[in-house]
Amino acid sequence: MRSLLQRLPVETYVIGFTLVLWVILSIFTKGFLTGDNIANIMRQTSIAAIIATGVLCTIIIAGIDLSVGSVVAFCGVLFAQLCSHGLDLPWAVLLTLAGGLAIGTINALAIGRLRIPAFIVTLAGLQVYRGLALLVSGGMTVGGLPPNVKDFARGATLGLPNLFWAMVVVGIVVHYLLSYTRRGRYMYALGSNAEAARRQGINPIAITVLAYVLSSGLATLAGILMVSRLSIASPSMANAYELQAIAAAVVGGASLFGGRGTVLGAIAGAILFTTMSNGAVLLDVDPFWEMVIEGLLIALVVYLDNLQKQRQTGN
Amino acid sequence: MRVSKLLAAVSFAAIGMASAMGAATAEDTVAVIVKATTSEYWQWVFKGAEAAGKELGVKIDQLGTPKDDAAGQISVLESAAGSKPAAIVISPTIFEALGDPIAAVTDAGIPVIVIDSGAKTDKYASFLTTNNEAGGKAAADAIAQCLKDRTGKAAGKVGYLTAMAGHESLDSRDKGFLDGMKAYPDITVVGNRVANNEEAEGMSLTADMMTKDSDLVGLFADNAQMGTGAGASISEKGAGDKFCLVAFDSDKGEVEHLNDGSIYALVIQDPYMMGYAGVWYGYAAAHGARLPKNVDTGVGVVTKANMNDPKFAGLLDVTKRQMSPFTGG
Repeated sequence: MRSLLQRLPVETYVIGFTLVLWVILSIFTKGFLTGDNIANIMRQTSIAAIIATGVLCTIIIAGIDLSVGSVVAFCGVLFAQLCSHGLDLPWAVLLTLAGGLAIGTINALAIGRLRIPAFIVTLAGLQVYRGLALLVSGGMTVGGLPPNVKDFARGATLGLPNLFWAMVVVGIVVHYLLSYTRRGRYMYALGSNAEAARRQGINPIAITVLAYVLSSGLATLAGILMVSRLSIASPSMANAYELQAIAAAVVGGASLFGGRGTVLGAIAGAILFTTMSNGAVLLDVDPFWEMVIEGLLIALVVYLDNLQKQRQTGN
Repeated sequence: MRVSKLLAAVSFAAIGMASAMGAATAEDTVAVIVKATTSEYWQWVFKGAEAAGKELGVKIDQLGTPKDDAAGQISVLESAAGSKPAAIVISPTIFEALGDPIAAVTDAGIPVIVIDSGAKTDKYASFLTTNNEAGGKAAADAIAQCLKDRTGKAAGKVGYLTAMAGHESLDSRDKGFLDGMKAYPDITVVGNRVANNEEAEGMSLTADMMTKDSDLVGLFADNAQMGTGAGASISEKGAGDKFCLVAFDSDKGEVEHLNDGSIYALVIQDPYMMGYAGVWYGYAAAHGARLPKNVDTGVGVVTKANMNDPKFAGLLDVTKRQMSPFTGG
């Protein structure tokens, strides 16, 4: 039994919880197990899951990215402005993504070269990019986008929502990078023990840049997808999404001390949160109680996960 | 030594000039303090205020906190009052919290014009606001009208979407909506969800509410963020011709959904007028005019059928706003 528990992957608890919740909701509500609702959950999860996947990369190297919510808003507004000024869709997407990559590079260099703590750099970013979102939009909702902008988020491929496929592709790519490439292993190594990693000849700045570029880049992608979904961009959107993303990664088994966490876990964490809010509506749970219950569930899942971690380290 | 004396003299002169300039401009300044500078609604208030400022030849200080933040707004109010402007126009974030600070500013001899939402004090020069309860009731009537138009009778299940909990103006809208629905015994209000004032969350909640009650026929969204989110959800489903969605306010997202048929009607307020008249009133009060204590800036109900009516043009798109001379009525 003990050896079995030790071999359980980190995302066991979050997946277990989500499955239990699905079974309960399927039994007690008539709307949950319907094609429409499953498609809703897929669409609602994917943007949060993509942001969580990015933030996970910074958590693995023992960093954090608090700026992602503001980056979603800034890049979303930037993308909408480019589109509404007549730039072709592919160019608007590429330019916006380039902006997101630049933000990640700036964050990483401030952390790696200037040695400012990641918490502070990205806390500053949270303010700066929200401010830039307001400047670029003049404080107003950006609308009047060409119809092809919303085609992607509204559409489906092989019967499943495009947003869901976007999450799957992002998940597979980042999972491959983390698990099957040297750079991915370096990220875990840097997060577990920065000094040891440096002695092994790992360039910490290059790895930091990779992690923060992934985080900002995926937040930028999420911003573009959100604009496609809402068919507008608002400078106030994605408020506090950084906290949701961190919660999803942590519930999915990531450790805020670094060196631990998986893409599957972060995505499962995002699915768990979406399921909870979906379930709260279907079961007609009071919205205020919903917040309390969600918070308690986060604490419970992380507690169980910690118990397992202790078993693994033999305490 | 000589250098430092010279420096001191220069800096004294600079301070003197700055304070003289400050004093000269402050008298011709009206400070406009909104609830949240990040929202389009409040930008419209600023636009109206700027227009009035231009006509009166006064400088407008656009102030406020980025997001609803009562403590932050009190600090902004206090520092604005410290610079002795001719008048202050403010929309209190929280009714209870802003009462005493506003009274203190009035006591200090600066006229305060309260706009949009009330504060717990009667020490202000004038209060310009939308009657939010009347707006909520108008939304209830619009949903009933929509159901009657499409099904022949005002009947079925409806829900409502609240942007944030514990906000005086939103609570009044919801109360007005629920009271208004009492006039339609065949309509039952089945659900209420509270979003985080976030379009995407409003969108998800709308879809989830329609899953919970598959026979839901109508929804009231009580502000612009909720209206945009709910509209996007109905538009995604392509359910605009079957579903009666009515929302408060008129930002770009909502107007687009009104246009594509996802939103049946918008209950619109006049934030531009609150800023515009607020500044005129403040200026008048500063020069001794006695003002009416309460002014209703009015609500209108816009549907796709009447959205091109010229009288709504400036209300739906602030850039088209033109102040016209008094015409009566």
